[in-house]
Amino acid sequence: MSRSIFSRPGSITVLVTPAVAVILFAIVAPITLSVYFSFTSWSGFGAIKPIGLANFQKILFHDPIFWRSLLNALLLAVVTLGIQNPVAFFVAALLTRIPQKRSRPFRTVFFVPAVLSLVVVTKLWVNIFSPTYGLLNKALSGLGLKILTAAWLTDVHTAVWSVIFIVIWQGFGWALLFYFTGLMTVPRELEEAAMIDGAAGLSLYGRIVIPYLLPVIQAVAVIGIISCLKQMEIVYLSTNGAPGDTTQFLANYVYIKAFNYSQYGYGNALSVLFVIIAVALTAVTQRSTRRLPEL
Amino acid sequence: MRKQILVGVLCLVAVMALVPALAWSADKIVMRMGDNLPNRTAAWGAVVEMINAEFTKAHPNVTFETESYQDQPWQEKVKLYATSGQLPDVMKYWSFSTLLKPLVDSNLVAELPLADFKAMNFVPGSLEVNMINGKLYGVPTNADFWVIYYNKRLFKDAGVAVPKTIEDLMASIPKFRAKGIAPMTTDGKDAWPLSITFDNLTERYSGTFSIIQGALDRKDRFTDPAFVQGARLLQEMAKAGLFNDDLLTSDYGASRNLFGQEKAAMYLMGSWEMGIPTDQSFPQSFRDNVSAFQIPALKGGKGVAGDQMAWFGGNYVLNAKSKYKDLGLEYIKFYFKRFPVLGWEKQAVFPAQRVNTSPNDTEVAKALVGILSAARVTSGTASLDRSTPAFKEDHQKLVKDLVAGVLTPEAFTKALDDSAANAASGQ
Repeated sequence: MSRSIFSRPGSITVLVTPAVAVILFAIVAPITLSVYFSFTSWSGFGAIKPIGLANFQKILFHDPIFWRSLLNALLLAVVTLGIQNPVAFFVAALLTRIPQKRSRPFRTVFFVPAVLSLVVVTKLWVNIFSPTYGLLNKALSGLGLKILTAAWLTDVHTAVWSVIFIVIWQGFGWALLFYFTGLMTVPRELEEAAMIDGAAGLSLYGRIVIPYLLPVIQAVAVIGIISCLKQMEIVYLSTNGAPGDTTQFLANYVYIKAFNYSQYGYGNALSVLFVIIAVALTAVTQRSTRRLPEL
Repeated sequence: MRKQILVGVLCLVAVMALVPALAWSADKIVMRMGDNLPNRTAAWGAVVEMINAEFTKAHPNVTFETESYQDQPWQEKVKLYATSGQLPDVMKYWSFSTLLKPLVDSNLVAELPLADFKAMNFVPGSLEVNMINGKLYGVPTNADFWVIYYNKRLFKDAGVAVPKTIEDLMASIPKFRAKGIAPMTTDGKDAWPLSITFDNLTERYSGTFSIIQGALDRKDRFTDPAFVQGARLLQEMAKAGLFNDDLLTSDYGASRNLFGQEKAAMYLMGSWEMGIPTDQSFPQSFRDNVSAFQIPALKGGKGVAGDQMAWFGGNYVLNAKSKYKDLGLEYIKFYFKRFPVLGWEKQAVFPAQRVNTSPNDTEVAKALVGILSAARVTSGTASLDRSTPAFKEDHQKLVKDLVAGVLTPEAFTKALDDSAANAASGQ
């Protein structure tokens, strides 16, 4: 029996080489370089000076901004998982209970922010939040609630929550889309069988629907956490970390250190830690949602 | 046989199609340019386009591929290009040690023929700030000085006269606020205008700009009384409501627009905005009423209004590794032959070369000429641009925190001094 051309080692090598080369040059090489630069004090151009673990020591023990940015990223992740996701799930569940034709306009409206450019979304909210000409303060004043007006993005008490709100608002459509699609796949007969057995309302969702959708919930949670950690565009375009680093987020801080401060070595060390934290958090989330207790 | 004929004909057609394309592409030159002038239809950007059009008329085979961003994004982009070896052939940049020197140290920008440019009527001192180790690396575009642009109509409506002192300026705040407009705006998001203003206010107390260099050289300290007083005054200005409430999220475009749309009475900015009355995107009532005045003196302070924050920041540099280095140099020479003429004619910019003033100059242009000719002493480059990139970033971040009220004046000056000490020790 003659061997197929595709099972010959030579053919396999030829076919696999381009893919391996792409992975090596586009993923492995940059990560390796990044790890190498994290042990140097390189400024982006000029001499590269190896300094061992000094960057990591400085970050972990003498850089309060790093911890603040990490805390903000985690805060965003908590709000995403604790508020955005449950609300998105609830709204998606409501939408599955009404005829598809009627739910379509709602789905479109909820999904519009997700398809808009991040620059547009951020500039839109920066303008709405503007205390000089912004819609929000004007609306509050018009309703006789002038006492609630604020310099939303520049006041230390409101800035981080305003940034988190923009991020959550922008990402809501994605979470809704995932949950809606997931809920539509729950077999009708499964629900009916459960209802015959006496399950209804919350217990139907707690015992049947949510366990069935666990893989979807897990995927949304992991994507949510990763996107919270890499949140950069909205922060950069709205506050860039100000006032007083209260709105600094990890990915934006990496960018500032590398490209504004020209501390590429330090920036690379930050990004190495960033990857470690992201991988660790993803693993923890996957583990904890693997056996989610029944509600 | 028919198949062979068909293949032959197809090959012939392909060759005939390719030959002109190849011949055309052989001598066609695309020059990559870059600058911080995103508006190409008004002011300085439009002048550059006119110069480029004249240059391409003389060199029909040359086309320009220009990318333009606002200051801060452009500086960041250049850093990325420098790191990846993709700098444009010719670009507009800055003479500051934080920006030009790293490019020179890495041999990324070419040395320029000093004698050729010396013969082009540059204002004394302007070429010198672009020289490193006796060699010229940048050609200065304009004289930068720090002023306050103002809207005469809004001043009249609010019953405010041009402030002679900082106290007058502070007294005007409630009058503008009562009219529902911001008294003053500037680019608070990027914060460098606040850093420059901090230098200026410090001088208004001390009566000298030299303490700034002294503090950078560690002969003086940023914790000295004049700096603390300057910081306190800047913070008080912000607290009293001198600036628009969203100052720290207003970038260059947003703040300029706020002033141009007559929602702010004053605009704290450099002389490079001389072309603002020619910007067609702003209403006629604004363009007819815009003028400028000096940063006022402080009652009891040692500095006077004639002590002027002024420097030569903007320049043009030539990529040392450009494929078209000779042509790039030819372009730069042509640019500086036409720039003082067209730039002044269009009232777009205050060139670093001598210009012929005219009675038809705009009011802003006349005011700026008056301010510069009344200057008693000039500051040279602002402090944030005299040290390392890290010091510059710290300066901008700290001054934002000061204005936001996150830092006290004492904590601000202490942190700034620590940053200067780090920069001086090479950290």
